[in-house]
Amino acid sequence: MALAQREVEENDSVPAAVAAAAGPRKATWRDHETYRALLVQPWTYVTGAVILALLNIALVAATGKGWGVTTSLAYWGAWIWGALGGDPHRWAYFAEVKPAFNAPGFGLLSDPGSLTNLGIVAGALLAVLLAGQFRIKRLKSRRQVSAAVLGGLAMGLGARIAFGCNIGDLFTGLPSMSLHGWVFLVSIFLGAAAGSRLLVKYFI
Amino acid sequence: MAEKTLDCLGEACPVPLIRTQKAIAELAPGDLLVVQIDHSCAMKNIPEWADKAGHNYEIQEVDDGQWEIVIEKAA
Repeated sequence: MALAQREVEENDSVPAAVAAAAGPRKATWRDHETYRALLVQPWTYVTGAVILALLNIALVAATGKGWGVTTSLAYWGAWIWGALGGDPHRWAYFAEVKPAFNAPGFGLLSDPGSLTNLGIVAGALLAVLLAGQFRIKRLKSRRQVSAAVLGGLAMGLGARIAFGCNIGDLFTGLPSMSLHGWVFLVSIFLGAAAGSRLLVKYFI
Repeated sequence: MAEKTLDCLGEACPVPLIRTQKAIAELAPGDLLVVQIDHSCAMKNIPEWADKAGHNYEIQEVDDGQWEIVIEKAA
């Protein structure tokens, strides 16, 4: 009832002449039901899961490896470090754990993970533009920035120790029967429970 | 009947939902809470919570990618 009252009050606050001049907002192609269902409203979890599964099968068929995100982010960081004058090629991580990094000719365009990461960014931009929801968001506070930076560092470190993130370990690791996915699953629940408590206690 | 505005612009999930739950707890039944959000996930989880908790609500798109959820605290 209070909601209905509020609407009446809001309508009354607009002078009749102004309201008449503006008229009702004209419906555009963006308001079309099919367009909204496909490109504005979120898809159901089941739809998303089926599409992701099909895409991962296609990715394995095309590249021989399942979807992962953070290993390529480590490559990006190492390439930037190299461009700044560092020598990441001798690091034990790349020499022993990810020898692909030191293979001749290996770069942004020959790493499937780097290409899918660029695809995520391009796809997210396209989706938000098509939905008419693009906006530059402001930083809320210094506390928000420092929490984001600290959280990013912790997640980056964790993803290297765990050989992946939710994508490489859960989405790709579990279906390929890898034990590390199950260890990650238990660990991330414990980490998320602890992180949520910290969030509520110190951040909100 | 009081009306309170909660500025959650620039905040990502689950922060808007938790702040909304805290703000509603401090209101009296029938009071309105206007939650300003620009994170599309909050458009899903705040209404889902309001449905479960029995509060009536209404979503208005105030700008591209920016919304106001008006929640009326249930009796």
